[in-house]
Amino acid sequence: MLKYRFNSVGLLLLLLIAIVLPFYLADYWIHSLTVALYYVIMAVTWNLLGGYTGQFSLSHHTFAVIGSYTSALLIIRIGTPLWMGIVSSCIFNAFISLLLGILCLRMRGIYLALTTWAFAEIVKSYIRMDFQFTGGDRGLNTPLFFKTIDPLPYYYLFLAFAVITILIIAIIMRSRIGYYIRAIRNDELAAQAMGVNTVRWKVFSFMVASVLASMAGTLYGHFIGLVSPVLGEFSEMAFIIIFVVIGGMRSQAGPVVGTISVRFLAEVLRKWPEVRMVIFASVVILIMRFFNGGLIEFLRKVYQRIRHGKDGESVSVFQKME
Amino acid sequence: MGKTENLFLFFKKWSRGKGIEEIMNSQSRPLLDIKNLVKDFGGLRALSNVSLNIQKGEIRGLIGPNGSGKTTMINLITGIYNISGGAIYFSQDRIDGLQPNVIAGRGVIRTFQIPRVFKDMTVLENMMVPALCQQQSMAEAKARAEELLEFSLLTRMKDEPAKNLSGGQNMLLQIVRGFMKKDLRLYLMDEPFSGVHESIKGIIIKNIKAMNQEKMITFLIVSHEMTTVRNLCHRISVLHKGELISQGTMEEVANDPLVIDAYLGGE
Ligand SMILES: Nc1ncnc2c1ncn2[C@@H]1O[C@H](COP(=O)(O)OP(=O)(O)O)[C@@H](O)[C@H]1O
Ligand SMILES: [Mg+2]
Repeated sequence: MLKYRFNSVGLLLLLLIAIVLPFYLADYWIHSLTVALYYVIMAVTWNLLGGYTGQFSLSHHTFAVIGSYTSALLIIRIGTPLWMGIVSSCIFNAFISLLLGILCLRMRGIYLALTTWAFAEIVKSYIRMDFQFTGGDRGLNTPLFFKTIDPLPYYYLFLAFAVITILIIAIIMRSRIGYYIRAIRNDELAAQAMGVNTVRWKVFSFMVASVLASMAGTLYGHFIGLVSPVLGEFSEMAFIIIFVVIGGMRSQAGPVVGTISVRFLAEVLRKWPEVRMVIFASVVILIMRFFNGGLIEFLRKVYQRIRHGKDGESVSVFQKME
Repeated sequence: MGKTENLFLFFKKWSRGKGIEEIMNSQSRPLLDIKNLVKDFGGLRALSNVSLNIQKGEIRGLIGPNGSGKTTMINLITGIYNISGGAIYFSQDRIDGLQPNVIAGRGVIRTFQIPRVFKDMTVLENMMVPALCQQQSMAEAKARAEELLEFSLLTRMKDEPAKNLSGGQNMLLQIVRGFMKKDLRLYLMDEPFSGVHESIKGIIIKNIKAMNQEKMITFLIVSHEMTTVRNLCHRISVLHKGELISQGTMEEVANDPLVIDAYLGGE
């Protein structure tokens, strides 16, 4: 109960700040916040897949790439209107994620990771090779969503989409599907023996996460005005995992907090890219080893300590965590 | 020879038929009807030509030395493994070849020899899973879960993650979780008493008896504990090296030379 209240109060506060924030910021920062919101969507949706369902996919970023290219290619090569490009991209990705989801059904752990990684490499290589169609490494110029490069409307677009995504996943996790998904990650065989249709809900989780990621990618293309294979680099996937792990895997606020704070740190350390990667990687190792709950669990403990004081109840709370 | 006698006496001592005539003599078709079941693992025949049927409302014991195929039998009934031959009928429908979740959906639930609970979920959340696979509302499922946990003295642990439970509590949770299935009809339990403290054993027995009497739920219980099996089960089937060597009341089974042979390791 306390946990839920803490989550929703925190998120509401964050949302309020997010709405008024651009009025106090330069365009540069609004732009980088918009990019951060794109990663929030990627992190939150990957958390559904890699966190809650236990499908450690390494092709999540690839769905963003497929999304952005589907829409861009339809608009540029066929001349479809923007909205139709976006809708078609959504449908196409639902189809692709259904196929990949079914292919990965019987795989777990390292096998699923390797298969999805191979899929990601194939897609990236194809885009690089078939440059006459896809634009290769140079990418393709694609129309802007708001026909302006002013970042403010994009910021609100991505904010709205991020909020919707977070809500969708929160609703899923609180519904009976959330129970199925967590049971599947804990023990697939036992879940099945209890009557959970593991095939259906694993594919469902894969599709929901992938389609939302592809929509984020599609909108991202129409925000930058360019689609390129850069979003398909493995480092993109690594960052999504870093955001989730640092923020707190299998929590709803964790990936949001993780993404915003790491992106912020990344901006501050922009002049020293190598140092930055060393810092992030070290933090991930430390969190994996000593603090599985990530930043959100840390904040929760601090909050409890403030609420209950140093003595009394807080002691028992800490003992329970062991 | 002394050893033989002891065991024989032990069997005799506990072998008194339980009032099951009505069930045994009932003319209705069996709830579970296994016909000439065969299971091969590569070159190893784990079950050969096993035919077994269980009437509705019966508590059946399944005993046999280690490696005789008891767990395999449960895995075949619940669809975890594919059968190599024969057929399994549940309430007149053939169920072999169906997915485990479909079989569970028909009301056939099982427990595992080594308890398989959802470790990162709380005790209450564990309970919710089977109920939410049916058309039960959250509130209804929660109320039922709380009632069952109370009956099993697990209320205190309700909000603990299952990984904090002891081995015996895990077994108890695993068993009680199965009762959350509203249309549970056949409950298969794989060694529910092994590694379980006496007090928890008592709770498990209390649960089985209550569910059998109140809801006419049928049980197949694999166990090595002769005292408990005698006390609980109407009839007993004995597996040995993948074959069904004896069937009947504890008295009949205990007097069967084949069974005595099997248990004394007559190779
Ligand atoms: N998955 C499996 N693969 C190969 N052999 C198996 C498998 N499961 C069981 N067996 C073999 O089948 C036989 C019966 O095993 P089991 O059903 O577990 O016996 P019990 O439960 O009566 O102790 C044993 O010889 C065992 O080694
Ligand atoms: Mg066994």
